[in-house]
Amino acid sequence: MIEVQNLTKRFGNFTAVDGASFSVGKGAIFGFLGPNGSGKSTVIRMLCGILSPSGGKASIGGHDVVADSDQLKGTIGYMSQKFSLYDELTVTENLLFYGRLYGIKGETLRQRMDELISLTHLAPYVGRRAALLSGGWRQRLAMACCLMHKPAVLFLDEPTAGIDPVARRELWDLLFEFSSQGITLFVTTHYMDEAERCSHVGYIYLSKLIVCGEPDHLKQLPEVNPAGARRLDVTCDHVTVGLQAVRRLPGVRSATVFGQSMHLLVEQRITEQQIHEQLAKVSIQQADIRPIAPSLEDVFVTLTAEQLEGVRP
Amino acid sequence: MKLFRGYTAILLKEFTTMFRDPTTLFFMFFPPVVQIIAFGYALDNDVKHMATVLLNEDRTVESRQLVEKFANTGSFRIIGEVRSVGDLEAAIRQGKAYVGLQIPPDFTRNLRAGRNAQVQVLIDGSSSTIALQALQTSMGIAMRESLVMLGAATGQREQPVEVRPQVLYNPSMKSANFFVPGVMGLALQIATVFATALALVREREKGTLENLLVAPLSRSGLMLGKLTPYLLMSMTMATLIFLVARWVFQIPIRGDLSALFLATFLFVFALLSIGLLISTRAQNHMQALQMTMALILPSVFFSGFLFPRETMPQFFYWISTVIPATYFIELMRATMLRGATIADYWHYYVILAGMGVGVFAMAAARFRTKLS
Repeated sequence: MIEVQNLTKRFGNFTAVDGASFSVGKGAIFGFLGPNGSGKSTVIRMLCGILSPSGGKASIGGHDVVADSDQLKGTIGYMSQKFSLYDELTVTENLLFYGRLYGIKGETLRQRMDELISLTHLAPYVGRRAALLSGGWRQRLAMACCLMHKPAVLFLDEPTAGIDPVARRELWDLLFEFSSQGITLFVTTHYMDEAERCSHVGYIYLSKLIVCGEPDHLKQLPEVNPAGARRLDVTCDHVTVGLQAVRRLPGVRSATVFGQSMHLLVEQRITEQQIHEQLAKVSIQQADIRPIAPSLEDVFVTLTAEQLEGVRP
Repeated sequence: MKLFRGYTAILLKEFTTMFRDPTTLFFMFFPPVVQIIAFGYALDNDVKHMATVLLNEDRTVESRQLVEKFANTGSFRIIGEVRSVGDLEAAIRQGKAYVGLQIPPDFTRNLRAGRNAQVQVLIDGSSSTIALQALQTSMGIAMRESLVMLGAATGQREQPVEVRPQVLYNPSMKSANFFVPGVMGLALQIATVFATALALVREREKGTLENLLVAPLSRSGLMLGKLTPYLLMSMTMATLIFLVARWVFQIPIRGDLSALFLATFLFVFALLSIGLLISTRAQNHMQALQMTMALILPSVFFSGFLFPRETMPQFFYWISTVIPATYFIELMRATMLRGATIADYWHYYVILAGMGVGVFAMAAARFRTKLS
């Protein structure tokens, strides 16, 4: 559905996106991750045809984003980071406006609006001005506005930034619903749990696309699972105290706190017994140790570290 | 239609937004009406009842008669008498009076003896309109008095040469008739240019512009959709202003209403297009406001609103030819006061239409459909 080859964007001397190549299949939920300023929004803007690439090619559904930007516009929806509704217009008026903007008229327009209102459960609020909606409902309305013209691809730039956890989960349920209708979703986010829900993820760091693929596939990358090492989850009391102790044990490559437990990357030769003994030195007698697979966060942390080593001489 | 794709959507949205927010409506209608009323009353160069101080050193029947004649013109109002020339000058310097009238002690004596009888008139020249009026009126009095006396001495009853002026179209020389059509142009200007100057700026500031850019919307469609509601609004406002001019200031409307409205339509279209052009460049409210003011200020001075264009230095005359208000104000004066027809002034209509279409096309062309 989305094909990107060597896409580059330079602003003066600054390279915002450096030779990104990836593809997203039809119906996928593509999670696009990376810190602020890494180039996520720039990629989306180029794909939506409102920013000209400095180099490389990109196409959506066979339409080149530069040459066929007119045909492209009818097939994509874009909910920008600060997607703004018209505050003084009601829910219905906002939807009608976006429908008309894409040339939808008459009965079709009404039908499509009703469809989206029931899909997003906005029915109780139809007569309310957008200014008076809470964060979660605004996002729903914004999404519905972007879907009025039945786009094949929907770009969402940080749709869940700043909304409460319940609304966030509901929004994702909605995204899965869209996906089941065959819409390809391209979502940027900061949340790792959201990334885990995506069918595919890409990670951009310092303008470079570092990795791209299915989450399960990424977790099995050799860089993430170095030969002769394994990952352990250690649950115990006084985790922060325990962490300091475990870090002093030779053979422990990395240790991070993860809520009530810590995640360790240790060499094969380290036994559970050695960890128990190390913890006992700081009077932690009880510890529950079990092997785990790397999380997406582990994947990104590992790959970022590698990238940094590559950058530094 | 592809050229104006998205027009209806934008049009309906702008209309809904406009009527939803009464403050916008109020601030569009209220200032021009206040402006025209305030300006219409304040701008008046009919000088009457100029404060005058008197130094009468003669104290005779003749000298008092002369003072009477000054007062009877309606131009002078005797506010008091002083005792010396120094006091006379002081009164003018202190701003208590515009004119000082000094009748010397030998006035009546000279008059009776048939000698040249002199009267001194001191005029405050710091206000040129007042000075001119005082000068002309006092000279006129002297001239008439002399003629009457010469006539009596020679026995000739009629004035040898007489000029009989007839002031056409504004016989009472009401300056409101001259100023109000000009004020109409200026009042319309501020509200309209600012309205469209904000049209895109608001979308840019709120972040909705990006949504519009990704939609299949043509530039002309967006621009015309933004312009149309304000065009209708401004025409309503213009009608209101005409009513005020007609019924509050009693300005006659001798020409055709259709000529009046065609001129207004073309003028307003040109102004709204200028606003759109500003909107394509301004990044925020502040810039839009500054640019609007920068464009409007010259038109106050160079449109012929205050000073006749013909007396301007060549350079400023050229500036005046590119200001839409120049043509509109002239058309208003011509149509309202002189009853001029569209045919009489067809080239003005063509110029205004050309400006409107030209600036509109420029605004559409300059609007960037891409971010940078």
